[in-house]
Amino acid sequence: MMSTISAGRPRAVPALRRIQAIAVRHLLVTVRNWQRVFDIAVWPAVDTILYGSIATYAQHAPAGGSARTALSVVAGIVMWHLVYQAEIAVATGFFEESHSRQLPGLLVTPLRPLEWVLGTALQGMAKVVLGVTAVAGTAALLYGYDMFDPGPGIVPVMGLLLLNGWALALIVVALVLYFGAGSEGLTWGLLFVILPLSGAFYPVSALPSAVRPLSAVLPTSYTFAAARDVTAHSASAGPHIAIAALATVALVIVSVGFVTASLRTFQRRGFISRYQ
Amino acid sequence: MTEHVMSARDLRKRYRRGVAVDGVSLDVAPGERVALVGPNGAGKTTTLMMCLGAVRPDAGTVEILGQRTERQRRAVLARVGFAAGYLPLPPHIRVIEYLTMFGRLYGSPDPKGQARAALDRFGIGHLARAIGTEMSSGQRTLVGIVKATMHAPALLILDEPTASLDPDIALRVRTSLLELCQSEGTALLVTSHNMTEVERLADRVVFLMNGRVIVDGALESVAARLGQSNLEDVYLHLSTIPQASRARRAT
Repeated sequence: MMSTISAGRPRAVPALRRIQAIAVRHLLVTVRNWQRVFDIAVWPAVDTILYGSIATYAQHAPAGGSARTALSVVAGIVMWHLVYQAEIAVATGFFEESHSRQLPGLLVTPLRPLEWVLGTALQGMAKVVLGVTAVAGTAALLYGYDMFDPGPGIVPVMGLLLLNGWALALIVVALVLYFGAGSEGLTWGLLFVILPLSGAFYPVSALPSAVRPLSAVLPTSYTFAAARDVTAHSASAGPHIAIAALATVALVIVSVGFVTASLRTFQRRGFISRYQ
Repeated sequence: MTEHVMSARDLRKRYRRGVAVDGVSLDVAPGERVALVGPNGAGKTTTLMMCLGAVRPDAGTVEILGQRTERQRRAVLARVGFAAGYLPLPPHIRVIEYLTMFGRLYGSPDPKGQARAALDRFGIGHLARAIGTEMSSGQRTLVGIVKATMHAPALLILDEPTASLDPDIALRVRTSLLELCQSEGTALLVTSHNMTEVERLADRVVFLMNGRVIVDGALESVAARLGQSNLEDVYLHLSTIPQASRARRAT
């Protein structure tokens, strides 16, 4: 005999259960992925630091120095996009392999990891050129900013910013190799933590004193300091570029070491099974 | 001259969830077709991945064409092909572009020409301009096998190549593989859950269970040795006997 549906049952109760089922399902994913803390807590805090520090920088600009403050912010966004586009190009190149489950196929060819990075960075250069042209063109058109006004001194700074972007991408790749696809959000999360702490738009002296020690250990802080000096035709640009170069080399070494160690862990712990 | 195309010795791998491979030794001779079979979790894929160097063994060694995989990775992998039924083709890329990329990775002087020739060999030249997502699973599997074989490997490693394929497509894949192995002398190491497929494709079968080799022998002799009429019955027989007995049998 067929069972019948109870006619007198209140409809609200099963509806609430279904809502609860969906809420619990998403809550479980959130609490089991520490990386999602970025979306929930870290990004808002980072935004506060970023805009608070821009405001502090503007507030403390000397009389008649507001033009220089504005230049610093516009130059900062153009320079920042070198880091941003370089990082995104390499990191999303890796995700392309990861999402389409191509990693096992690539890992068993003669391809070296470094060759993969260089190939991805090479195609990424096209994206960098396109992205930075869009930003620099907009800045030139709307704000009269000429990114090449500082002269040839800007070239090594741009090179260092590219290297910073690629090194940060390797750190993200290392985290994804180790922790899995849940870490992919760090591609953007890591950048937007580094953005305010590196003083892309203002000197690190504009940062709250509590976070300045974090800024001091970030190689990108020194590269952006050099970029600001070059943009402002400062006499200290040369020494700052040298310091930025050393800091960038250190970041590249750390990121290459990190991604190498993560790849070893990936192979040792059989994480390739994630793609089966 | 190297006696074996591949020689794995006492491979061991333990994951957090337990032992995956527990002392597997496996030789594959030139032109030999070896099937690695066993239930889910027996250690087949982990064994294959260790042979390919994609998973690092806790202990044991793998030599391919006389060279240790972990020391001469690039040289070894240049002579090995790999495809798996569970690995898709990338989206947004045409078959010919995908195969050309792999031709370049294997150092082919004419990757595009090699890709076209390989597609024609498997009778799927008409798929050259298709995109992975536009094709049936059988066509994708064939393209995966073309990718694995286009650089004329000495050893072809296939993980579940015909899983979830229709019988007619699976037959076409098997026929193409047999032709390749016979004409090129390519050695084949393949995993499968399909015993009928194993009987038609392999000339030697290795049963794995709980990470150990339980039975290793010529296809025609294994069933007879265990008093069974076919491989399906051998599989079922080995699945039902207790672990301790299987361990004794292995020794």
